[in-house]
Amino acid sequence: MFLTELFRTAAFRLTLMAVAAMAGVMVMQFALVYTQMEAVESHRSTELLRGEARLLSEMTPEHLEYVIRKRATDDMRLVISSAGLFDSGHAVITGDLRSWPRGLKADGKPHNIEIYPEEGAPYPMRLLAVTLTDGNILVLGRSFHLLAEQKLMLRHATVLAAVPTLLFALLLGMVLSHRALSRVKDMHEAIDLIMAGDIHERLPAGKERDDLERLAGSVNRMLDRLERLMDGMREVGNDIAHDLRTPLSRVRAKLERALSTGSQQEALEGAVARAVDDLDQCLAIITALLRIAEIESSRRRAGFAVLDLGELVADVVDLYEPIAETEGIHLLTQRGPSAVTIDGDRHLLIELLANLVDNAIKFTPEGGQVTVAVLRRPAGGAVLTVADTGIGIAREEREAVLSRFYRSDKSRHVPGNGLGLSLVSAIAHLHEASVAVEEGPDGRGTCFRITFQ
Amino acid sequence: MTDETALETAHAGHDTGHDTLPRGAVLLIEDDSTIAEEIVAELSGHGFDVQHRATGDAGLAAALAGGVDVMVVDRLLPGMDGLTVIETMRQRGIRTPVLVLSALSAVDDRVTGLKAGGDDYLSKPFAMEELLARVEALMRRPDDTRNTRLRVGPLEMDLIERRVWRDGREIELLPREFRLLEYLMRRPDQVLTRSMLLEDVWQYRFIPRTNLVDVHIGKLRRKVDAPGEEPLIRSIRGTGFLLRVPD
Repeated sequence: MFLTELFRTAAFRLTLMAVAAMAGVMVMQFALVYTQMEAVESHRSTELLRGEARLLSEMTPEHLEYVIRKRATDDMRLVISSAGLFDSGHAVITGDLRSWPRGLKADGKPHNIEIYPEEGAPYPMRLLAVTLTDGNILVLGRSFHLLAEQKLMLRHATVLAAVPTLLFALLLGMVLSHRALSRVKDMHEAIDLIMAGDIHERLPAGKERDDLERLAGSVNRMLDRLERLMDGMREVGNDIAHDLRTPLSRVRAKLERALSTGSQQEALEGAVARAVDDLDQCLAIITALLRIAEIESSRRRAGFAVLDLGELVADVVDLYEPIAETEGIHLLTQRGPSAVTIDGDRHLLIELLANLVDNAIKFTPEGGQVTVAVLRRPAGGAVLTVADTGIGIAREEREAVLSRFYRSDKSRHVPGNGLGLSLVSAIAHLHEASVAVEEGPDGRGTCFRITFQ
Repeated sequence: MTDETALETAHAGHDTGHDTLPRGAVLLIEDDSTIAEEIVAELSGHGFDVQHRATGDAGLAAALAGGVDVMVVDRLLPGMDGLTVIETMRQRGIRTPVLVLSALSAVDDRVTGLKAGGDDYLSKPFAMEELLARVEALMRRPDDTRNTRLRVGPLEMDLIERRVWRDGREIELLPREFRLLEYLMRRPDQVLTRSMLLEDVWQYRFIPRTNLVDVHIGKLRRKVDAPGEEPLIRSIRGTGFLLRVPD
């Protein structure tokens, strides 16, 4: 159980990979030393055989025969393991090589030849044969047992070194991954708590010193953001419930009273008509909310085209002029002689502008002034402002008016659902434009400034 | 206040005048049975001959069978959806005007609805008067002929010179007032709702207050109906306006 879990940790798998790589390097090193050793030994034995052959061939035949016969006690034994003196017909004269090695040529070059002794298994030997001045042939041989011994030693040494090294690495990996595993386990437990509904729980991030802690820190920051969003949504949900409950309870009260106070046709009709008006208000709130949600979630700019903000302003002012006139408000337009073009959705921008102008007219008393202006920014882009001389918005409320359902205390008595400005904000956001709420000209009223990039 | 009394009679007269014979055949394709019942009751109550289908396939079959003057189609239907019904129908060469209903209010929803071959678009929830006015409007396609002069009762409009007279008296109109009156004159004796006017005359869909239209109509009315003259522009309470043709 523990092992399968251990094997599934990333740290342990990394350890295994490192151990495998280490083993690979060791094998390669071994192979290199092995071949190198073989090459060095081969070179050395050739030199030895040649040097010895040169020395021996310079001796008198009698002396040579003696030396070969006595070779067993000689120190020559150390370097030359076999020797033999043959006549020109390959018949043995003396020495411990009892027969002419098969395939050997008397050319003074070393040959690796298999020797078949009279008893025992055949073994390889490095042989060199030289023809002497009297026609006899001197054969010298050097066995491979020294090399074999060295190879065996090397193999033993390698295995002796490799086993503890690899075992140590594996153990270290297990310990490290076990520690990582326990940290991941803590995180899992924290996540399980969060999933179970405890959204205030956070992952153990320590001081964010390593990757894992930094990751936990990032997740924690993401959770903070989500928590804020959830709080915001809960707030909006409460606001919606509250704003719908007011007109709905009015509807209920009206209908109930109409039902209880009698059967007068006219009174009933009036009550039903007013109930329908109140219900329309509820539906308007829901429609506005859905629209804001839809604009906020819409990242498509399918309806975007190049349009002239000046023309847009002229259109909206044309629409609102009669109502401004009726309410005794001067509706003015300020625009330069040339077109101020931006990339945008005409319907949405009309909606934005209509909401701002509508608001301005609503909150400006008779005799006041509403000014809609379009300016080209020197740095590119455009600025759209709607300024009024109305009741104004307190400095500390300016941020809040753009959020959903915010109604300034001063505006409580004016009909509206408090969603117009959040719609403005959503549309501006879709156009990557910023919305600023400022004081109107001369420090009176309000000025909404939409800045397009 | 005089308007309100005038409008009540106008509305009543408008309705009862056609009660004796069917005013047209309407095919309703709507899966929500409550809404469908309401629509059927409203339209039948105003003299329309209504047949109702609850699925796209059944609706398409009824549309292809013919004998329908106007269709009211919900966008979201089980099986074949509303837009597919309209598209299929249009491919078969059936030109019956269609009013598309939808619970969605997506920014470009109306555009896709109209692109698929719908003639008008109404998003839920809607007032029954709105639906009725739009069905009637589709029933009588506007007089979009190339005539350069329009005549409705005592009103005469020259579309080239952009001038209007009432019984020979010239009426001075602002461009926006001219556009509004032209729209009314192309649809005489027809109830036009505030949102129809906003959508068709100004091409606006989401305007914070629809009583804007009342102010525009008020201004126009003061110029068209001089004191002592028979009022031609009537308000229909809770619904919209109507340009009345005197008998």
